[in-house]
Amino acid sequence: MKLSTKGRYGLRALVDLAVHSYKGHQPLAQIAERQNISEIYLEQVFSTLRKNGVVKSIKGAQGGYLLNEEPKNITIGKILRILEGDLSIVDEKVRSDSEEKSVAYCVYENVWRKIDENINELVDSITLEELVEDYKKNHGLLPNMYHI
Amino acid sequence: MKISTKGRYALEAVVDLSYHAKDELESLKSIAKRLNKSKNYLEQLFVLLRQNNIVVSIRGSQGGYKLAKEASKITAGDVVRAVEGSLAPVACLDFSNKEQCCGDYEKCVTRVVWKKMMDEISNVLDDVTIQDLKDCYEKMNKENIIEYYI
Repeated sequence: MKLSTKGRYGLRALVDLAVHSYKGHQPLAQIAERQNISEIYLEQVFSTLRKNGVVKSIKGAQGGYLLNEEPKNITIGKILRILEGDLSIVDEKVRSDSEEKSVAYCVYENVWRKIDENINELVDSITLEELVEDYKKNHGLLPNMYHI
Repeated sequence: MKISTKGRYALEAVVDLSYHAKDELESLKSIAKRLNKSKNYLEQLFVLLRQNNIVVSIRGSQGGYKLAKEASKITAGDVVRAVEGSLAPVACLDFSNKEQCCGDYEKCVTRVVWKKMMDEISNVLDDVTIQDLKDCYEKMNKENIIEYYI
């Protein structure tokens, strides 16, 4: 039961972008360097994020990426569902195959469905802004740096 | 982010075992047949369940499996961890794998998110016992019988 690198790296890169975007558009190369992630890999991730309206890009020498919305309006759930697909711990098929009155049905209803509900509730309750604030705190950056 | 068939099948098999092995031992063959799973696959899972003291086995023609302790003393988490190993959604949450972390372990903000996800998974799994799942199954099937005969 693992998250893919898409979700892991994507979220880290978005936190990085949000922290540094007060300086203007952020080239992927810089995000990649700061986060020690392959730029080619990040290109794929950011292409997906752009198509889903999380980031916007400007091409050219001064180009790069910016968030499309305020970090406080972007939930971690939204990001992870874009990058990972649905966050369910079991396939949809497991649910539909669990016949009523079977052991599988009891296990699904009492265990897997509850985990799915709690995970989705959790990630929808955390915003990118909260991670940005944590990042600044952990790295000794001024809390208001983002707004300058 | 999916749980493997190991965790799912093991949990279903242990609940089935708890329901059917009341006074006698239950054979894997019967469990596999009822759950429509491969007996060979369940065998591999039961080796791990036995090693983790969730089931006990007796060999021989009258042999088979039963729970190693009361169903109320075994949680879904015990069973899933026995066969899946760690429940961590990312490797760096396993303490032994700290060196596998992708960045600065202490300052990483996304690690905190993954940790909270793992806690949600653990909380649900550790809160449900095999007895709870067996009760659910028993209740559903009892209702079924009453309906049928009335």
